[in-house]
Amino acid sequence: MTNGWIDIKNTDMMLIMGGNPAENHPCGFKWAIEAKRNRNAKMIVVDPRFTRTASTADLFLQIRAGADIAFLGGLINYAIANDRIAKDYLLNYTNAAFVVKEGFKLPEDGLYSGFDPAAHTYDKSTWNYEEGGDLTGKAVAAEAPHKPAPAPAPAKPGQAPPAPPALPPNVAHDLGLQHPRCVFQLLKKQYSRYTPEMVERITGIPKDQFLKAADLFTSIRKNGDMKKAATIIYAVGWTQHTYGTQIIRTAAMLQLLMGNVGRSGGGVNALRGHSNIQGATDMAGIFDNLPGYLKVPTPADADLAAYVKRITPTSSKPGPWDSFNYWSNTPKFVTSFLKAMYGDAATKQNGFAFDYLPKVDRNYSWTQIWDQMYRGTVKGLFAFGMNGVMIGPDTQKNIDALKKAEWLVVGEIYPDETSEFWRAPGTSADEMRNIKTTVYRLPCAGFAEKDGSMTNSARWLQWKNTALPPPGDARLDQDIIAQIFLRVRDLYKKDGGKFPDPILNLTWPYIDPRHPALSDVAKEINGKALADLTDPATQVTTKTGQQLPGFAWLKDDGTTSCGNWIYCGSWTEAGAQIQRRGTEDPSGLGIYPNWAWSWPANRRVLYNRASCDLDGKPWDPQRRQVWWNEAAQKWVGNDVPDFKPDSPPKDHLGPFIMNPEGVGRLFVPLGALADGPFPEHYEPFESPIANPLHPNQSNNPVVKKLTTAADKFGTPADGFTVVCTTYRLTEQYHYWTKNNPMNVQLIPEPFIEIPVELADDMGVRGTEKIKVTSARGTYVAKAFVTRRIKPMMIDGKKVYQIGLPIHQGFRGIAEDEERNARTPANLLSPTVIDPNAYTPEFKGFLVKVEKA
Amino acid sequence: MKDEARLLPNGRILRYTFVERLMHWLSALSYVYLLLTGLAFWSPWLFWIAVVLGGATISRELHPWAGLLFVAATFWMYRTWADQMRETEVDKEWWRALPHYIRNEDELVPKIGKYNAGQKSLFWGFFWCGIALLVSGVILWFPQQVPWSLRFLRYLAVIVHPVAALLTIALFMIHLYMGLAIEGGALHSMVRGDVSKAWARAFHRLWYEKVLNESTSRK
Amino acid sequence: MSQATTEIRRISGHAGSVPGEGFSRDYDVCKLIDTTTCIGCKACEVACLEWNGYSFTETTFDNSYQTMPETQWNYWNLIKFNEHEREDGSMQLLMRKDQCMHCEEPGCLAACPADGAIVQYANGIVDFQQDQCIGCGYCITGCPFNIPKFSPTARKVFKCTLCNDRVTQGLEPACIKSCPTGCLHFGSKTDMKELAENRAAQLREHSGFANAGVYDPAGVGGTHVIYVLHDATNPEAYGGLPKNPTIPLTVRLWKMPLKWLGNFAIVGGLVGLAVHYLRYGTKTEEVEEPPEQAEQGAKR
Repeated sequence: MTNGWIDIKNTDMMLIMGGNPAENHPCGFKWAIEAKRNRNAKMIVVDPRFTRTASTADLFLQIRAGADIAFLGGLINYAIANDRIAKDYLLNYTNAAFVVKEGFKLPEDGLYSGFDPAAHTYDKSTWNYEEGGDLTGKAVAAEAPHKPAPAPAPAKPGQAPPAPPALPPNVAHDLGLQHPRCVFQLLKKQYSRYTPEMVERITGIPKDQFLKAADLFTSIRKNGDMKKAATIIYAVGWTQHTYGTQIIRTAAMLQLLMGNVGRSGGGVNALRGHSNIQGATDMAGIFDNLPGYLKVPTPADADLAAYVKRITPTSSKPGPWDSFNYWSNTPKFVTSFLKAMYGDAATKQNGFAFDYLPKVDRNYSWTQIWDQMYRGTVKGLFAFGMNGVMIGPDTQKNIDALKKAEWLVVGEIYPDETSEFWRAPGTSADEMRNIKTTVYRLPCAGFAEKDGSMTNSARWLQWKNTALPPPGDARLDQDIIAQIFLRVRDLYKKDGGKFPDPILNLTWPYIDPRHPALSDVAKEINGKALADLTDPATQVTTKTGQQLPGFAWLKDDGTTSCGNWIYCGSWTEAGAQIQRRGTEDPSGLGIYPNWAWSWPANRRVLYNRASCDLDGKPWDPQRRQVWWNEAAQKWVGNDVPDFKPDSPPKDHLGPFIMNPEGVGRLFVPLGALADGPFPEHYEPFESPIANPLHPNQSNNPVVKKLTTAADKFGTPADGFTVVCTTYRLTEQYHYWTKNNPMNVQLIPEPFIEIPVELADDMGVRGTEKIKVTSARGTYVAKAFVTRRIKPMMIDGKKVYQIGLPIHQGFRGIAEDEERNARTPANLLSPTVIDPNAYTPEFKGFLVKVEKA
Repeated sequence: MKDEARLLPNGRILRYTFVERLMHWLSALSYVYLLLTGLAFWSPWLFWIAVVLGGATISRELHPWAGLLFVAATFWMYRTWADQMRETEVDKEWWRALPHYIRNEDELVPKIGKYNAGQKSLFWGFFWCGIALLVSGVILWFPQQVPWSLRFLRYLAVIVHPVAALLTIALFMIHLYMGLAIEGGALHSMVRGDVSKAWARAFHRLWYEKVLNESTSRK
Repeated sequence: MSQATTEIRRISGHAGSVPGEGFSRDYDVCKLIDTTTCIGCKACEVACLEWNGYSFTETTFDNSYQTMPETQWNYWNLIKFNEHEREDGSMQLLMRKDQCMHCEEPGCLAACPADGAIVQYANGIVDFQQDQCIGCGYCITGCPFNIPKFSPTARKVFKCTLCNDRVTQGLEPACIKSCPTGCLHFGSKTDMKELAENRAAQLREHSGFANAGVYDPAGVGGTHVIYVLHDATNPEAYGGLPKNPTIPLTVRLWKMPLKWLGNFAIVGGLVGLAVHYLRYGTKTEEVEEPPEQAEQGAKR
């Protein structure tokens, strides 16, 4: 989240889409209820089903699963057409005025400029700003009709490849927002195609209802009023699509357009679906990041210098403006990280052991792991608290992949489907005998049996204590990892190997190496000084070995060590900030500055400088977050300013300090996104219709689908005409609460929610068994005949949507007693992924529905 | 069933057979239990009755079973006596002579058969109230089994049961009074089965004559 | 709360006066359930089970998120779900927490014949005392909300206690504590009523629910569990909440007029019989006969 859970209570307007917080985040949802109760805030819910969240909404719109960009694009179009935008904010805090270079083409035909059909990728060099100065008020010559930019000449043998395109340091800009190639005009043109009629064709939302929602949501900016704030709240209903990243982008753009980012009660707010998934992504539980969202090195990065040069952005902005470009400090983050990893073995001479880092040469994301296992190249898997068989997508493919693996280590608190893949329903006795995979089951500790910190959606790191020890032979995760590591290290010591150095030189500074204390790890992550360091401005000194006070202290010369720069400041010499439990909230905004610690630097609302006008005065005096104090010549406030504290407003330093432009990006240039600088509506990979905007390019052109025999896809012509989405319920949590009598009592059986009309067509009554089939598998459960999902008219065609919860599988209380069909939901889902975040398209694929 | 009355060797008349007496006392004793426990549930002032009868909870458990026993005995009596309890012409005259009967001016009361109209009313009263108590009683025994949509049955049961019970109490009071205080010999007839000729002649003249005739014709 | 709130106001099946009658109303407690902010998460169902020590049971799917069709003797608190279409065609998913309403004039207590089996405290809580319960189930008939439920194993009747054991220790009921959205509130009747009316007014003014209102039915003298409903003119839509609940007519007839009549009749009857005996005495077998009749009788 850019904001936080409690901050939601400060909002005036909520758009909840691609998420169902009442059911999946009931405790966090209380803040949305608080906003309604105490501020008469309005709530708009857009979802393929009328959920329990929708039951508290002021306005509910049923949408076809996967049509979110069309809806949000329609809102952008509406906001611009009806002048319900934050003009000053738009002009000064976003790249609306930046001029894009010639050669850039919008995707009226579904393709941006630079598409290579053979490789399914884009040459993004035209997705860039024009170099130049102030073009405000200058007449623009009529543009020549678009000619595709010439492809860059291929490198001659022996010649270094041409330097990749870069952002120009001085960006041409038109502060009148009139230049036809300025971002604002391009944005306007892009979404001019997203008329209410088009929105209706794509989403199924009747035009008048769409206009009602658009009017309501944008009403906060009527007559240029800047006092109110709107928030957009979403979850995996948005991310689990082949354009999921772009859906979120559209929302971010809408929020920038309306001046909601950085505002209390505003922002773009992801509801993370697990108590520590935010911590997992912060600490790089993903293949293409290093902790703190540093980009991973690739084989093309010859050395540390080359790597750092590639990933460190340089500022790119209109000349008169200032850009903090905080990622320019990347070298400090990288070096400090390397020092944390390799300690004394990382020296200036050896590039701080840069060579020890693995170089990521391709996509190693989740579906790729299983795909490679299926193909036989991945021989074994450690699955720690991760039920891969149930997660899918394409559960059967994952089961078959495990059958081919040599070994599987499952760390879990109970026997799950992954550790029992070998006796999944449908596996014959003969097959079982032929499965050679060795399965190791390590009993692990449950959440109440571990201490450590968890990072929530609001970016708060909160320490928890152990409530009780693990039972029997169960062990703590860190003990298991430590003991595997120590044994591996010993083997390397004894037997050598191709390149043992990274293992042998990995720091392992724990008092008991076999039982690392998580508090020690937390301190390591915060980082410490490796030499005496003094801050020239304040003359404060941090001595060698002391915990660093914050990431401003990080250095690129090897005198600091830090496991994750964004967590720097979480465990200082003053103590474990993440253990604080101060309940004071003097501003009443729900900031609670002394409760736990949020990254970065305990800032609760990101980009909060944007909550003030150009002079540094809050847009809404009732919700003062930060402001410029003229007398003290610095930014102060109830929240920690997410900004350079002493930069006066007149210097026009952009609030979006993590962007090289210093401003919010309506247009995302160059390589940041794989599929376009603006989001474009593409159909889900399995869709009932052709894309009304460009039927010849229905889907996201850079989406790669996996191509083994197990990767099958269905079309309406094959009889798959019903749109299916999967989701979670309040009463169960993923795949493990089916082992808990309490949850099983509340939701005892799997079910499939189908519209009353579909049930009538099929002659099916509620609680009768039905089966849902996709190109990949079949799911059997009882029908839940409901009025909460209505049939829709999609581009003139009647389309049914159904939904099913994912919680039941083939191992659990009811499953063990054979009280249900024992089919996992993800037998149905497709192996096709978002090209930026690699998330599979779990929400919006085609199925057929029949009596069982 | 036919009346089995006959002249006995000892000169008395058999009025009630062994089986009839058994039925009666089964019914009577179960009724008394029902009455006592029922009164305990009827009035907080009498709740102590259930307590002394083994506890209130067990009283509630046994009351319906005693009810079933009572109803079984009553149905048994119906099979045995219904034919003898049909209304005849004499009954209408008897009702007109009721004030004389009450004032013990029995010479002014018409001659009647084995049962006078009052006794017949008692029989039918207990029979019909028994049915009403059975049906309402079963509903009160398992109130939760009656679906919420049919709850009007519970509400009916809750008023029918005490009303029918009160009617039986009235009949019972009169029955006990008549049998124990007013018609000497009546109790003996229901315990040992026989009555004297004088008793029969006094209170059930037509029946007396019938029995004598039959015994004479048998000789 | 002070000891005074555990004073008893009414006792079922009790002969004589009740200590504590005629107390002050300031002690009334009230649970406010705002159905407009309920998200049907069932935390309250689980909290009630756990506080009262009941184990989880096997249930079946019945075309609804609802855990089971009705409350049970060991499941006192149930969210009822209703997919309701409004007149303008828009959808509502109405979710109402169903449990004992703790009526000011409780039908269960009125119908109960067992001395002390049902107690109404000064603070309005109506509590079953299973030690005194005889398991007759009259309370089941007396309740207009279908709440008391019979346990076939314990052979007694059970229902929500409004966490009397917690309230007397100054704690809020378990369900209140567990509610994540703050849809449940607990406090004095006066305060909760005010909160509810304000919320209903807010709904009418700001959320387009013209019929929003508070459910505090006068037919049972008001209740110590009140609801804010989006549409107070249609409580039936909320999982069958009765529109005009009262103690059933026949229960009232039985307990009041019939009882007086019946007692009067019994006593009157006994007195009448005694008087008759005094006056007329017993019958004799020596029945004087008019001469003609005797001869006629002998001939026959």
